[in-house]
Amino acid sequence: MTVPNSNPLIETKELVKKFGSFTALNGVSLKVYPGEVHALLGDNGAGKSTLIKALSGVHQPTSGKILVEGKETKFNSPRDASEVGIGTVYQDLALNSLTSVTRNFFLGRELKFGNGPFGILKMKKMHNIAIEEMAKIGIKIEDPEQPVGTMSGGQRQTLAIARAIYFGAKVLILDEPTSALGQKQQMEVLKTIKKVQQLGNIAIILITHNEIHARLIADRYTFISLGEVIGSGSSKDLEGDDIRRLMAGGAEVGDLAKELA
Amino acid sequence: MSSSENSRKESDRHNPKSSLISLISRPEIGPIGVMILLFGMLGYFSIPASETTWNPFAGEGFNALGIRNNLRVISQLGIIALGAGLLIIAGEFDLSIGSMIGFAGACMAMTLRWGFSIVLPYISFDGGTHLEFYTLLHIPNVTPTLAIFITLCFTLTFGWVQGFIIVRSGLPSFIVTLGGLFFLRGLTEVSLRSFNHRPDQAKGATTVTEIPDIKNIINLPGYGEMEREAAKYLPETDLISIVKNLPSDVIAKISERLEYTAQRVAEAKTDLLIAKGVKPLEKALENAIASDNEFMIKTIQEKIENFKIDPVIPKSITEVDIARAYIDTIGSARPIADFFGGNILETIFDWLYFPIDWNVNNFGNQFAPGLYSCVMIWVILSLVCYIVLSKTQVGNWIYSTGGNLSAAQANGVPTNKVKISLFMFSAFCATLFATCQVFEVNTSDAAKGNLKELEAIAAAVIGGIVMTGGFGTVLGIIVGAFIFGLAKEAFFYIPGIDGSFYRVFLGFVIIASALLNENIRKRIMGNI
Ligand SMILES: Nc1ncnc2c1ncn2[C@@H]1O[C@H](COP(=O)(O)OP(=O)(O)OP(=O)(O)O)[C@@H](O)[C@H]1O
Ligand SMILES: [Mg+2]
Repeated sequence: MTVPNSNPLIETKELVKKFGSFTALNGVSLKVYPGEVHALLGDNGAGKSTLIKALSGVHQPTSGKILVEGKETKFNSPRDASEVGIGTVYQDLALNSLTSVTRNFFLGRELKFGNGPFGILKMKKMHNIAIEEMAKIGIKIEDPEQPVGTMSGGQRQTLAIARAIYFGAKVLILDEPTSALGQKQQMEVLKTIKKVQQLGNIAIILITHNEIHARLIADRYTFISLGEVIGSGSSKDLEGDDIRRLMAGGAEVGDLAKELA
Repeated sequence: MSSSENSRKESDRHNPKSSLISLISRPEIGPIGVMILLFGMLGYFSIPASETTWNPFAGEGFNALGIRNNLRVISQLGIIALGAGLLIIAGEFDLSIGSMIGFAGACMAMTLRWGFSIVLPYISFDGGTHLEFYTLLHIPNVTPTLAIFITLCFTLTFGWVQGFIIVRSGLPSFIVTLGGLFFLRGLTEVSLRSFNHRPDQAKGATTVTEIPDIKNIINLPGYGEMEREAAKYLPETDLISIVKNLPSDVIAKISERLEYTAQRVAEAKTDLLIAKGVKPLEKALENAIASDNEFMIKTIQEKIENFKIDPVIPKSITEVDIARAYIDTIGSARPIADFFGGNILETIFDWLYFPIDWNVNNFGNQFAPGLYSCVMIWVILSLVCYIVLSKTQVGNWIYSTGGNLSAAQANGVPTNKVKISLFMFSAFCATLFATCQVFEVNTSDAAKGNLKELEAIAAAVIGGIVMTGGFGTVLGIIVGAFIFGLAKEAFFYIPGIDGSFYRVFLGFVIIASALLNENIRKRIMGNI
């Protein structure tokens, strides 16, 4: 296993999360480095979403540590997490379909003249930034006034990712960004992720059920099953069969073809 | 298998619309069409049957008085529709607006009439157990500003409480504000009855009357503050001495105006007398023609031609008249009361009377002194709402709170604050409505504002607000208020049909608008 020469941007140590008597995470440790796509793989219910919710401040871990740039950190709310640079793009993307691209891009962090919530919006500047930032990661928007509801799924993902990066995300967490998309749009999103990876200073955590996608862009893998890490490694170390086996929680699926025959 | 590389780019799919197309595909265009239709109907049908003209402003609907009255109805509704509409855009709605109007009006009228006190109740045992009150503070003479301030304290607090309960409990706003509707109406009636009774009565009326005409209190030089009407009926010697002290150019201007009016009135009276005299002759002529009596026709025709009447001599202008006219021109000594209850655009309406010859009634007098102040309040409020909703950060917060609550929260929008503030704003609009009404008519009634909450919601829906939130514009709300107000008047003038048909029409318009709005919303959400 190769160890990158930089320090991890975000790290968990023996993270445990219990929901009452149910243990969703049972001592998960992982390290995510800048400029890398870290694929978080595992079966349904393995605990992937729970892990990233702990990283983004939605859940508070029962025990264990979260370190951001080497410093131990506690998140009491999603706000805390986003303040230290953790940007999460949830499955529902947190977009308002009824308003424009720009209004969504700057939602909650609008640029304005004057202080206070009654400040007048700098619409023109915000239009330009939104177009520019989305172009940086590969999508050209013609009309920043277009309602988000009329955009394609891939474009929406890009909007949400561009927004997270623009507002200072050092760690970008993507929960199944391709799950609801058609083939072409899946590729668009992967290209977007690749572009972010090439920026070099952002660590990306990618949850996916798609082995092909993971192999296309991931630099490092962590496999989770029943709340525990059952394997990890860099893309060079792992064979396709290993990945498939570990993704299914360690069970032998090699014979699936025979079973189905 | 064949495949061809698709050389089309994303931008090729974007077909920029011409400005005309994008104008007519704006969501407000439907309501604006209905508004123009109603405008035309009201203009056309209100033209008296005897006249033929293509000028819609010739009819009663849009003569000076018609405009004055119609705009009052429209702007009063418009004020509360803004409160209701913004709240609906944020995903909630308020059924307590109507009761809030009644409550605010009663609160204001009562403090103006009887003053304001803060009392501490306690149980006294002297002479049997009963409740006694210790007065902490008593202000006997409440100024209009203070009355408005006190009322706002109550109504804004109530708006805050409703909003707080809704965001904290997650209960639907329908049920909480329905509670507010009954609570406030009941509270208004109870307080009016208990404050309003004479010592010899057990229960009082649910109205407040005998409030002085505050907006018409003037400061008459040498006499101090008094009501305008009282000033006009000072002893004639006093009035004459007032005129003596006026600069000559002021007197000249006033007497010119009075002479003009007197001339007008005289001409109008002369015309009426001629009409009165000629009408029977014309009738007789018709009969003569019907009976083919050549001789009769001739004599009557001659009679009509030679019909003469001595013109009415214009009333001569006395110094007392000048004094009274002068008193009319003195500005209010209570600008706040005048701001809400008085008139605006008086100079324009004067101009329409003198050079334009349009603001004139059958007797030659000026029809309308101006527009009601509530029109100005509505215009100001609309402008503020427009800027806030479409140009400020709060506007984006309002849209996102109603459009996708969890997305707004995830992006750090203080959605609870947005909602509570809008409940308070809705209460503020209801208070504005009541303020304009109280200072205009100087009375208040517990039944005021009944059903207004539904009218406000209806106006908002007609104007393109989607009930599920997140969608709509201030321009739409304005148009909605116009449609509501115009429909009521237009149907009143259509000959041969019951005026209540306007409700049938509005019912239809509301459902049609809601369907249209939903269609637009779905299209934007990408479901069509
Ligand atoms: N708030 C909660 N309360 C109780 N149990 C929960 C809660 N959230 C998640 N769980 C449980 O924790 C386990 C892990 O859930 P999680 O959503 O993390 O799975 P996942 O790996 O993201 O699965 P998927 O691939 O289907 O999204 C599941 O069994 C789930 O039922
Ligand atoms: Mg999940």
